[in-house]
Amino acid sequence: MSVEQHYLVGLDLVGRRVVVVGGGTVAQRRLPRLVASGAAVEVIAPHVTPAVQAMADAGELTWHARPYEDGDLDGAWYAITCTQLTEVNAAVAAEAERHRIFCVRSDAGTEGSAVTPAVGEHDGLLVGVLSGGQPRRSAAVRDGVLSALRTGAVLDRPELGRLAGVALVGGGPGDPELITVRGRRLLASADVVVTDRLGPRELLDELPPHVEVVDAAKIPYGRAASQDVINSTLIEHAKAGKFVVRLKGGDSYLFGRGFEELIACAEAGVPVTVVPGVTSAFGVPAMAGVPVTHRGVAHEVVVVSGHVAPDDERSLVDWPALGRLTGTIVLMMAVERIRAFAEVLCANGRPGDTPVAVIQEGTMRTERVLRTSLARVAEDVTAHEIRPPAIIVIGPVAALSDELITE
Amino acid sequence: MTVHLVGAGPGDPGLLTCRAAELLGSAEVVVYDRPSMADILALAGTGDKRCVGKSGSRPAWPQAEVNQLLVDLGRAGREVVRLKAGDPFVVSRGGEEALALAGAGVPFEVVPGISAAIAAPALAGIPVMVRQIATTLTVVAGNEDPEYRQRIDWSAVAAVGGTVVVLTGRSALRGIAEELLAAGMAADTPVTAVSAASRAHQRRVTGTLAALPDPRMRPPVTFVIGAVATLDLLEGSDAHP
Ligand SMILES: C[S@@+](CC[C@H](N)C(=O)[O-])C[C@H]1O[C@@H](n2cnc3c(N)ncnc32)[C@H](O)[C@@H]1O
Ligand SMILES: C[S@@+](CC[C@H](N)C(=O)[O-])C[C@H]1O[C@@H](n2cnc3c(N)ncnc32)[C@H](O)[C@@H]1O
Repeated sequence: MSVEQHYLVGLDLVGRRVVVVGGGTVAQRRLPRLVASGAAVEVIAPHVTPAVQAMADAGELTWHARPYEDGDLDGAWYAITCTQLTEVNAAVAAEAERHRIFCVRSDAGTEGSAVTPAVGEHDGLLVGVLSGGQPRRSAAVRDGVLSALRTGAVLDRPELGRLAGVALVGGGPGDPELITVRGRRLLASADVVVTDRLGPRELLDELPPHVEVVDAAKIPYGRAASQDVINSTLIEHAKAGKFVVRLKGGDSYLFGRGFEELIACAEAGVPVTVVPGVTSAFGVPAMAGVPVTHRGVAHEVVVVSGHVAPDDERSLVDWPALGRLTGTIVLMMAVERIRAFAEVLCANGRPGDTPVAVIQEGTMRTERVLRTSLARVAEDVTAHEIRPPAIIVIGPVAALSDELITE
Repeated sequence: MTVHLVGAGPGDPGLLTCRAAELLGSAEVVVYDRPSMADILALAGTGDKRCVGKSGSRPAWPQAEVNQLLVDLGRAGREVVRLKAGDPFVVSRGGEEALALAGAGVPFEVVPGISAAIAAPALAGIPVMVRQIATTLTVVAGNEDPEYRQRIDWSAVAAVGGTVVVLTGRSALRGIAEELLAAGMAADTPVTAVSAASRAHQRRVTGTLAALPDPRMRPPVTFVIGAVATLDLLEGSDAHP
């Protein structure tokens, strides 16, 4: 029988008698799914594996500890024969044929009247693949489909496309694989995507053509005003019935203005969901081999924004206190003013030989890592032409990475 | 063939990175700490699963043995996922495992995850940073480490202010609060405890440094100290479990 003649179907086995002849590893693989389907499973075999025995002990199936006899299929709806003896399997299949019971022969698939597909489960969904006697091929396809479902590359709930409101999705530092599974799924259901300069921009290429992409980085106003324009863009599209994904770099709440956008949407009566993301503050050092905490080296880490200078009246940061900390300091948005930051830290007690790692465009193909010290970082950043976006890690953990470079 | 040190995020499988989900799907061996990660482990399908954390009455493996297991599995050429809660390098011993692998010449890869330090507050409606309120985030390991006492200069932490997030702090919270108060942090500084973020039984309780939230909550618990701790962006929404 060729594969085209098979007919893929779902059987309702609840309470129906299903006979499995054989209790070895093949039976052991098939049984859990049969039991899960609610079938009244009976195993006929003189000996079974400990796992099958355990299922019998737990009352999940009935085990008849004896060889197969003609008549065992009486009243069965479905049968699987998987003994090591060809003649037994053939006899079972013959009895099944006489009584018009579909029967799987594990030793010779084409000689049974049914075959078991490669099956996988995802979130209540069953995926089955038949390939006409090429089990590896079926398994590979099943694994691919399951992995696509789990990562959101394939959408299993098209109704998500009719989601309402705004989702603030943290996209991670830039590597498209570092977005969350949920973020990826929401992105795939978006009608409108509002992006920044940072974050996993490669994912935008995969959006279907009908999706409108608004690049917030290109809004031609001053900084403060552009935030208002972003807020109103989110609100207008959502009110027009579109599902809007606000895709951000890292996590929305770490210097990401997520709070402002959430409040603006809430005040306008637009429902908002927040999906956390991997912040560049931790994710970028990690991928560059710098652990932000390390037992016995740094038990605390402080994340600080460098978007205003230490002596700027808008600064809320107590730089002298930071200088007294012995743990790790992660500076974001600090490339332009690194000289002032390094000076104030040194002046307040942080030794000049404290190791520093500067990571530009972390997690991306264009990543550059500079290792230096607090005393030299300003010069080195200039000399190596480090440009934003970059993360600056200050503290002894920055030197551990030398040992972590494996290749 | 390598060992992947993978951050699992706070517990909800939807908050795994796509890379983590993919690696789990093809892992031959998954080494994990918490039996409560069942939903995430389910993604590992037929892969061999080894718990090295505390399980029932059995204590957690000593770190040196975990390191050795990873080295052995890596040398045997197995495709290994070492699953770590949150991010592998945030108040975690992923760094020690990375050093052990590097020292043994076993190739490895680090896959960052969403740290509870940021996600637990966020999932309970607290943004750890808000311009005008808090522009620094300090994440500290709260538990006393017998080998490394007094590692943290609490007076500097208090002076830095902003948002302070304490991980592994359930039993040490009282002592930490005393240190912060002694260093001059205001007695009415809000403190919120977030228990079991991203799980069905997630809870939050708010108090102050002087009147701490009742620590009798189900672990794991993350504490948020600072002005942002009173915010509740999910108030009235159905996102609060
Ligand atoms: C406006 S902040 C946004 C941070 C973001 N919300 C997060 O959680 O990562 C921008 C800063 O994040 C840092 N950053 C973001 N992505 C980065 C990357 N891939 N490599 C290095 N630094 C990055 C840089 O310090 C940059 O100046
Ligand atoms: C050993 S630390 C590991 C932290 C982890 N590496 C991370 O980045 O999230 C464990 C601590 O993380 C916090 N934690 C982890 N998962 C949590 C959750 N789902 N809800 C609240 N706190 C959590 C608790 O403070 C717990 O004591």
